[in-house]
Amino acid sequence: MIRGLIGKTVREVWLATLIFAAGMFAFEAVLAWVLMEFHEDLAGQWLQIDFIQKMFKGLVGAEIGDGFNFSHLGVVAWVHPVILALLWSQAITFCTRVPAGEIDRGTIDVLLGLPVSRWRVYLCESFVGSICGGLMVAAGLAGFLVGSMTIPADSRLDAGHMVVVAVNCGCLCAAVGGLSFLISSVSERRGRAVAVVVGIVMASFLLNFLAQFSEPARQASFLSMMTYYKPLLILRDAAWPVRDMVVLAMMGLATWLAGGVLFSRRDICTT
Amino acid sequence: MQPGFTVSVIVSENLTKYYGRTVGVRDLTLRVPEGEVFGFLGPNGSGKTTTIRVLVGLLRPTGGNARIFGLDTWRDSHRVKVDVGYLPGDLRLYHWLTARSAFEVVGRIRGRDLTSNGRRLADMFDLDLDVRVRTMSRGTRQKLGLVLALVHEPKLLILDEPTSGLDPIMQERLKDHIRGLASRGHTVFFSSHSLSEVQHVCDRVAIVRNGRLVAHESLDTLRGRAMREVSIRWHTARAADVPIAPDFLEVHHRMDRQWQCALHGSVPELIRWIAGKPVADLSIGQPDLDSVFRRYYDEEAVEP
Repeated sequence: MIRGLIGKTVREVWLATLIFAAGMFAFEAVLAWVLMEFHEDLAGQWLQIDFIQKMFKGLVGAEIGDGFNFSHLGVVAWVHPVILALLWSQAITFCTRVPAGEIDRGTIDVLLGLPVSRWRVYLCESFVGSICGGLMVAAGLAGFLVGSMTIPADSRLDAGHMVVVAVNCGCLCAAVGGLSFLISSVSERRGRAVAVVVGIVMASFLLNFLAQFSEPARQASFLSMMTYYKPLLILRDAAWPVRDMVVLAMMGLATWLAGGVLFSRRDICTT
Repeated sequence: MQPGFTVSVIVSENLTKYYGRTVGVRDLTLRVPEGEVFGFLGPNGSGKTTTIRVLVGLLRPTGGNARIFGLDTWRDSHRVKVDVGYLPGDLRLYHWLTARSAFEVVGRIRGRDLTSNGRRLADMFDLDLDVRVRTMSRGTRQKLGLVLALVHEPKLLILDEPTSGLDPIMQERLKDHIRGLASRGHTVFFSSHSLSEVQHVCDRVAIVRNGRLVAHESLDTLRGRAMREVSIRWHTARAADVPIAPDFLEVHHRMDRQWQCALHGSVPELIRWIAGKPVADLSIGQPDLDSVFRRYYDEEAVEP
C-alpha cells in the first residue's frame, strides 16, 4: 500500500524535482566559483558600505566582524535570493500538493476512494517530500563543492563546515515545508495555499531584513524563520547553531503535525 | 446466516450533514441489504452526492451516523474501502494515468494484482490500455473510472451518476454488468437523476429532496403506484357516452367511441369496473415510473 502511494507521488514529482535540483547544482557551482574567485574585488568594494554590511548581516545571520575572511564571502552562495527562491519554490510547490493540490484538481476523490487513511497519504507524501528536499540541499552542496574546485585549495571553504551550513539550510526548508503542509491542509485551492505561504515566507524574510535597521523589527525578529539561519556563524566560527536548527526543525514539525491533524479531520469537498 | 435474515450492507441512521447553515442531508435513515441494486434518486442539489461523500468518508456527518459492513464510515473509512468500489460524480483522474498504469498503481495500493481483471473489464468497455487520461474524451475517462471502481470486484459498489458521458451501448453494458454483480451477491448503490434510468437494474429506490428522504420503496411498489396509459374503444358512440369514469380512471380525451385515460388505480380494479360493459377493445400501457418521480419533484415545487 505504502509502495503504491510513494510510487504515485514519485511518478508525479520526479521531473520537477530533478529540474529544481539541477538548477540548484548549476547555480551553486557558478556562485561558488564567482564569489571565491573574485571575493577580494567584491568584498573590497561592496562590504565597505554600511548599508550593504547590514543587508549582508541580515542574510548570513552574523556580523562581519573580527575573524571575517574574504573567502567567507562564499557563504553568499547559500543565502543568494535565487538559491532561496529555488529551495522555497520546490518546498512550497511540493508541500501544497496534498491535500490542496489534490482537492483543486479533483483527484482526491479517487485517491481517498482507495483503502488508505488520510494520515497514510500525508505520511507518504511527506516522506517523498523530505527525500526531495534533501536532494535539493545535497545538489546545492555538491554544486558548491564542484564550483570551489576551480580555485586553489587554501582559498576554499572547509567542506565539513559547508555540510553544517547545508544542514541548517535543510532545517530552514523543513520549516517552510511544514508551514506549506499546514496551509495546504486548510485550503481547497492550491494557488491560494501557495500565495499564503509565499506571503508568510516573504514577510519573514522582510522582517529579518528590517531588524538590521529598526528596533521594533529587531524585537519581533524571533518570529522570522531567517533569524535561525546562520551560515556565516558556522563558516567563520566553526560553530554548530544547534539551538537555531532545533527551533527551525520544531517549527517544521509542529506545523506539519498540525497540518496532518487538520487534514485527517476536515471535510473534503471538490465540487 | 438464519433463513430470512437479511444483512444490511449500508445503514444510515438520522444522517445529517450541514455545510455551515446550509443543509446537505437531514435525518436520512436508509438500509441497503446485501445483494441489492439500490437506486438513489433526486434532483440536483437534493443531497445525493453529499450522502455518497459521507458514505465514502470524505465528509464527516454533522449528526447521526452511517455504517458500511457494520463499520463507521468516518472513523473506519480506510477499512471500509477495502471492499468498496467508488465512482465519483464529478470524476477527475491524474492526467498522466493510462488504464495500464492505473491497474499497477491501484493494484499496489490495494495490495493485489489487478492486471488480468482490469484487462477483461477494459475489453468489455472498449478501453485502450495505453491512452493517457489527458488525451481521453469525457466518456472514455468515465469508462476508466468505472473500470477502476469495478476492478477489485468489490462487495459494495457506490456509483454517483455512472452513466454520465457514456453512450447508450456502454450504458447497457454497465447495466448488464451491474445485474451480473447483484446476481453474485454484490451490492450496488446507484445514484441517478432519472428513475427510468435505474428502473431496469434496481430492486429498490430511495428518493431524496431538499436533503430529506421522501420515498424508500421497492420498484414493484412504485410501479403499483405509477400511472398507466389506458385506451378504451367502445362498441358504439352511444355506449361511450353512458358510463361515468370511476375516480381511479382519469379520462383525458373522448372522441367518438374512443377514450384516452390515465389509470391511477390497479389493473384488477379497472378490469372489475369494465367487466360487462360494451367494450370493443382495451389496451393498458406500462407503468410510467417517471410520472411518480415527477410527482415528487412537483411536490418540491409547490412546497413552501
